[in-house]
Amino acid sequence: MRTALAIARKELSIYFTTPWAYAVFTAMLALASFFFVGLLHDFQHTQELARMSGWDNLPPERRNLTDGVMVPFWSSVMIITLFVAPFLSMRLFAEEKRNKTFELLMTAPVRPVEIVLGKYLGGLGVITTTLGLTILYPVLLSFFGSSESGTVLEWGTVLLGYGGLLLWGATCMAIGMFLSTLTESQMVAALLTFAVLLPWTLLRGLAHGAEEPMRSIITYLSFDAQLQGLLRGVVDLKTIVFFFSVIIFSLVLSHRAVEAQRWA
Amino acid sequence: MIEVQNLTKRYRDRVAVEGLNFSVAEGEILGFLGPNGAGKSTTMKLLTGFLPPSEGVAKVAGFDVFEQPLEVKRRIGYLPETPPLYPEMTVVGYLKFVASLKGLPGRGLRAEVERVGTLTGLSDVMGRVIQNLSKGYKQRVGIAQALLGSPPVLILDEPTEGLDPTQRAEVRALIKGLAGKHTVILSTHILPEVTMTCEKVLIINQGRVVAYDDLRKLARAHGGKAENVSLEEIFIKLTAA
Repeated sequence: MRTALAIARKELSIYFTTPWAYAVFTAMLALASFFFVGLLHDFQHTQELARMSGWDNLPPERRNLTDGVMVPFWSSVMIITLFVAPFLSMRLFAEEKRNKTFELLMTAPVRPVEIVLGKYLGGLGVITTTLGLTILYPVLLSFFGSSESGTVLEWGTVLLGYGGLLLWGATCMAIGMFLSTLTESQMVAALLTFAVLLPWTLLRGLAHGAEEPMRSIITYLSFDAQLQGLLRGVVDLKTIVFFFSVIIFSLVLSHRAVEAQRWA
Repeated sequence: MIEVQNLTKRYRDRVAVEGLNFSVAEGEILGFLGPNGAGKSTTMKLLTGFLPPSEGVAKVAGFDVFEQPLEVKRRIGYLPETPPLYPEMTVVGYLKFVASLKGLPGRGLRAEVERVGTLTGLSDVMGRVIQNLSKGYKQRVGIAQALLGSPPVLILDEPTEGLDPTQRAEVRALIKGLAGKHTVILSTHILPEVTMTCEKVLIINQGRVVAYDDLRKLARAHGGKAENVSLEEIFIKLTAA
């Protein structure tokens, strides 16, 4: 286990000494700010409309900042994560193979499990940092917003949604890491990760035209449908089991792929 | 210490090495020679467990490379043909990382890194980032990495590649100093190197052994009575076919 931690530490030190991670952080912050400002603006607009035409006409999900801004904001961050995570996961194995450092890992007295876990921990560290930046936005809201009943946000809901986001980030990294074991080219790894994540997320679109048993299955499998509840702060054990299964399955596949080197 | 029997590696229909048989006794230095593409690096990858053999057995310190890879890897220091370096890391950071990969105890780790650093003449560049180093220094970081934890067996794939003549002499002296304490397999195509450091040579060509003998005996066998036949002549003669 100590070697896994050593690998994780090495991954993090490489992430944070190259400009790559900082470019991803910047992209995350820029895009998140863009959506955040848009959502705030919309929220303000509907509030003004409601003030003129009566509060009863205001749909319930528009009545407070938590449901009106933070929940849709987490959904936007989820989409941004889908686009930036492949850029973080692509190098995990592909770079080692291209650099010939994979040979070092494979000829050191380290078991493949430790390599995979170490790499994944490093990946988790960097995606958590990326998503950690977005907690700034609800903090900002609670500083500048105010309400008669005390806190302006329901922090419980916001943090549960954020937890769902972290779970989603962990899932993207696990899938990305597996695809990175398959190639020497980081670009190919990133593209493959997109090609898997994007359709998987949008799977729900297919459900509309499908017959009933298929329809439920497709909806169940879709990342988007699974995340909807979680991002709204509704914890469902089924969802958590679903994401953990995807993560563990990807780790097992990564392990297979690393182990396969010994048989190739 | 190292035993190889009928070691064969095929990639589909292309044969990389075929039917290698040799053994290296403890403390011995074996010079591993052959033209480019003869299968030197492949053999070394097989010995270190990076590639699986198609046939045959390789044993290091009595452990089968394929069956008990961890036991073997614990006993081998390996310098691949491209030194496996992380360009973004500093020399000291890299060496510490490799030391912890090898499972060296945390307490003596810093001292061990310093020891191999001094041994390979890296003391002055310890804090520098690897990608800014010259080729010679990079190669030496690769050698230092193999020496960490002083493993009983060293497998060095062209250790003097990219070094200038002075550095080459230093590395040669270093390797010579390892004899007795370590068992070394050294591949190279710089022939004087072998004459100076090794007692035994193995020459392969197109994946097969063409000569495997004591250096002096080899010279006698191919030079008739003359003792001063150069290894170069033998090499060219044997690999011409």
